Amino acid sequence: MSRKTFQSDSLPLAKLALAFLVCWPVVAPAATFDRKPAASDPSDHAFPALGSSMERKVPVEWNRFYDHAGLGAILARLNKVFPNLTRLYSIGRSVEGRDLWCLEVTARKVGDPKRKPGMYIDGNIHGNEVQGGEAVAYTAWYLCHQYGELEKVTDLLDHYVFYLIPTINPDGRDRWLHQAQTASTSRSGLRPYDNDHDGLLDEDDVDDLDGDGSITQMRIKDPNGRWKPHPQFPDYLMVQVPPDEKGAYTLLGMEGIDNDGDGRINEDPAGGYDMNRNWAWDWQPNFVQYGAQDYPFSLPETRAISAFVIEHPNLAAFQSYHNAGGMILRSPGREGGAMRPSDDAVLQTIAQRGEKMLPFYRSMIIWKDLYTVWGGEIDWFYAGRGILGFSNELWNRRNADKAGADPSREDEIAFLKYVLLQDGLVKWKEHDHPTYGKIEIGGTRKEWGRTPVSFLLEEECHRNMAFTLYHADQMPRLSISNVEVNKLDENLYKVWVTIENSRLIPTRTDQDVRNHISPPDVVSLSGANVKVLSAGRVTDRYFKRVEAVKRRPDRVELDTIGGLNAARVQFIVSGRGTFTIKVDSAKAGVLTSEQSLP
Amino acid sequence: MQFRGLALVICVWAGVLGASALEYPTNRELAQHLKDLEKGHRKLVRVESVAKSLGNQDVWLAELGAGSDAERRRRPALLLAAGLEGNDFAGTAIAVAWIEHLAKSNATNEVIRKLLESTTLYIFPRVNPDASGRFFAKPKVELTVSRQPVDDDHDGLVDEDGPDDLNADGLITSMRVEDREGEYIADPAEPRLLLKADKAKGEVGAWRLLTEGRDNDGDEAWNEDGPGGVNFNRNFPYNYRFFEPWSGLHQVSESETRTLADFIVEHPNIGIVFTYGAADNLVQTPSSESKGEGPGRRPPTIIHKDDLPYYRELGKAYRDALGLKKELKTVSEPGTFSDWMYFHRGRLSLAAQPWSPALQLELAKSKTKEGDKKAKETGAAKEEKTNEKKEEAGDAQKPDEAKKPSEPGKPEPDKRNEEERAFLKWIDENAKELFVPWKSVEHPDFPGKKVEIGGLAPFARSNPPEKLLEPLAEKQGKFLTDLAGKLPRVSLRQTKVKHLGESIYDVTVQVENSGYLPTSLAQGDVSNEVNSTRVVLDVEPGDILSGSKRTMLGPIEGSGGMKEVRFVIRAKGRSQIEVEIISMLGGSVHANIDLKKEQ
Repeated sequence: MSRKTFQSDSLPLAKLALAFLVCWPVVAPAATFDRKPAASDPSDHAFPALGSSMERKVPVEWNRFYDHAGLGAILARLNKVFPNLTRLYSIGRSVEGRDLWCLEVTARKVGDPKRKPGMYIDGNIHGNEVQGGEAVAYTAWYLCHQYGELEKVTDLLDHYVFYLIPTINPDGRDRWLHQAQTASTSRSGLRPYDNDHDGLLDEDDVDDLDGDGSITQMRIKDPNGRWKPHPQFPDYLMVQVPPDEKGAYTLLGMEGIDNDGDGRINEDPAGGYDMNRNWAWDWQPNFVQYGAQDYPFSLPETRAISAFVIEHPNLAAFQSYHNAGGMILRSPGREGGAMRPSDDAVLQTIAQRGEKMLPFYRSMIIWKDLYTVWGGEIDWFYAGRGILGFSNELWNRRNADKAGADPSREDEIAFLKYVLLQDGLVKWKEHDHPTYGKIEIGGTRKEWGRTPVSFLLEEECHRNMAFTLYHADQMPRLSISNVEVNKLDENLYKVWVTIENSRLIPTRTDQDVRNHISPPDVVSLSGANVKVLSAGRVTDRYFKRVEAVKRRPDRVELDTIGGLNAARVQFIVSGRGTFTIKVDSAKAGVLTSEQSLP
Repeated sequence: MQFRGLALVICVWAGVLGASALEYPTNRELAQHLKDLEKGHRKLVRVESVAKSLGNQDVWLAELGAGSDAERRRRPALLLAAGLEGNDFAGTAIAVAWIEHLAKSNATNEVIRKLLESTTLYIFPRVNPDASGRFFAKPKVELTVSRQPVDDDHDGLVDEDGPDDLNADGLITSMRVEDREGEYIADPAEPRLLLKADKAKGEVGAWRLLTEGRDNDGDEAWNEDGPGGVNFNRNFPYNYRFFEPWSGLHQVSESETRTLADFIVEHPNIGIVFTYGAADNLVQTPSSESKGEGPGRRPPTIIHKDDLPYYRELGKAYRDALGLKKELKTVSEPGTFSDWMYFHRGRLSLAAQPWSPALQLELAKSKTKEGDKKAKETGAAKEEKTNEKKEEAGDAQKPDEAKKPSEPGKPEPDKRNEEERAFLKWIDENAKELFVPWKSVEHPDFPGKKVEIGGLAPFARSNPPEKLLEPLAEKQGKFLTDLAGKLPRVSLRQTKVKHLGESIYDVTVQVENSGYLPTSLAQGDVSNEVNSTRVVLDVEPGDILSGSKRTMLGPIEGSGGMKEVRFVIRAKGRSQIEVEIISMLGGSVHANIDLKKEQ
């Protein structure tokens, strides 16, 4: 329309239209507000952010904790939806009869699941150290969903097998989750134990006096006390007064009463031992190592796992998730404990990569950088079974503020107050205590301190999983990279076989070789019309030095095939036609190569 | 010690066992014998199979004591274990003989009757029933292990090279091969024995010593991977060795050892443990030399200095009971049941080789000097005997000196193989069948070389000929009966009540230990495995004005040691209160205190 026409002839119509448009929101409000988006499933409209599978065939939220049944349900659903990638079974039962569920994850139709290098991953040996359970379940979930989607995951599951056991202390876990606890209580399993040697068992545990589902601190007004409310956070934090000043409160310890009338509070809790001190290597009794119980593997959980490990000679890597502190821990647990230098070098290399993948985590030696542990799980896996592994301590407090230094107590309370909108803070409240009289109860909930907050839990799971998968990817990967046949005479040949290991971890660790834990790798040659006259290990390929085997020349035993290294074997054979080279390694698997004599 | 009681014990013993000579039992004979004893003495003996071995044999437990199950559970107890090592048969025979003696003497012997009314005895005569089969097998072969197949030589094959009975004499003995590179020479003083060649003395090797057999797997090692297994007396957590062929995959790995360990945990009333096996801490007082370790959280390596006096005295008593005039060499082995019981569980733990060549030779020496010992077992004569012992101790030195040349110019006799030669002489005179004379054979592994088969018969060094069992069992049994009487025993020495006015009373309770051993050894305390003796009142905490309902007394010394605890209580409407004294190793006592009676 020309301007002239608009202004002169259609003015009333145009004005009406304009007025209509302007007044439309006022004139017809009901019609606009009735419009709603379709309440379809948001997942149908989802697009991936990097690091997670798009499809959620088994939808799981990773911003919360799951009890034993919950973790079991995740594994059961994964097993149902991914039958070609998983097997699900129990490896034993806890003191209270809960199954230790194991999800075996590998590409079942690629290779032989029993003969692939295996990685054992567990979590939550201490009942309160719950997030290990989520980390392991996340790993299972991620691997299943990403197989066939991500080349790297496909490669991992084609070549390796993972034994994933989210919780090996389900009794302690369920007690921590379901009952009022602190961040540190319910560490033990639940076999009754007389901690205070009074002839009674587990008779004095913590008590939720105010019934708020949380075990917090008790304080009592005391003009001679050494504590007073923090000026900045009086409702939540206490601070020590200077020595020459009058205080206001005495701190009384964790919520509880003297259940057995012996003058002590909370001194004989349920259980009261440490499952991570009940393992065979460097085991010491209770008076040397608190919590060790009566003898190694005297607990059903540790015994079940030890039997599982002994029955799986293909295990070549280990990880056990704990909390807290942000650590990548390695053996030995005590000064002078077992650790061969070449094995330690491999662990250090892997741990260094881990430090880059896990912000604020540090690579540490247990006895040296943390404290002495006698009879720990990691030591038995390494020194007793020759398996290289780590124990990660999940959650470093710096991750809350992403600060360079450890947060102060004020920083922590500020985080809870402002970032979590006071979730986790328990204000001081009055209570009448049977021994102390009028006291106040308050502090922070059990979910604060050793476990990640909800929106950081998935990060913890993923980063630790990624580190552990990097470790797994270093398990030995063999190839018969070269077979050289030289004719020596009519009917007489010299065959040199080169076997390469393209990964960092040797087929047998030094601890294994020295103590004959697993059988040696065997390289053998056979053919219908071929006879092996002599065979030996090539000890110098340039100067052609060969160490001949004394008997049974058809098979050559190798102590190990080193990390990122190769081994060479010489066969002197007579005959004709085809022959097969076979490499049989307990941990690296079986490979064959068909060759022909010229 | 009660000399008259001992005399009675020995006379009764001689009478009881005179009829049947002792023998080494097969598993079936052992089961039958134990069941017969149970049947004949139901009020005293309970026999139970507590585990099945890998070979499906029973591991038997015999529990002795009068009264009900519950009563026996609460009494101080002694545990005897034998047949842990696969080659211990004497221990088993002694254990069974002791059970029989106790059961049969109960009616007539005051000491034994009192013992069985106040003490519980747990006896495991044969913890390793699978190994026993080898004693009766054809061929007979001596091994210390059970039956699990083990790849001893780590060649990927399991149990592929065991011994072979090449001369078909039903025994696996030794084999010597003439070889200039061999380690051994024939002992010039006794050519039937071999001696390690000492190159420094210019001795040229002559013989190679192997076990009778062939190199079945062609690896130039003979019989190095025989039927394998675990030595149960190396399978316990104290000083355990990983990766040895006989130690098992880890501590307490076998169902039999696990059963024994769980039994210990479930029966905390066991205060004394006695084990027959290769280890021995009685023939010599254990070392007290500290390795310079401080107290605190360190694995212990020596017996606690406060416990050492008990080991010393009991060692002396043991040597006396055997008639041993001088100390022999003590033997310790890694991972033994006895060491675990002391160092980790804090109990008095004694271990003995029931018999050894050294013991036999030493006893033979004393016998020729003393004459008949039994005639002298009366109180008065004992005094003389003590003096005589001192002289004999001096005498005992002389045979050593006699070995020194009395004539100048004569070459010093070779001290090597001294015991072996003496033992062989003893065998010649007493048990010829224990040495198989060397005989040449044609051995396919050594064509053209001189190979002889012979040597000591299996078990010759570890178990006495059956004819010697009876006197040995008698002496050991005497010691064991005495030992069982040494357990701690708590009792209420006295109570003092003072009525302070109204319903308020001052009550003092004195707890006494009338036993020999303290209610807890120092190691029991250090290890935290022996609970403190406690006194429990049946008074509400609110009514206890001074003191507490449950009082821990700490360890109480033996031989009349006493601890006292005092209360001030309010006892409205009550004329008496009950007090319970509970000692983990010393039994428990329940008593009523009459408040009306002032003391």
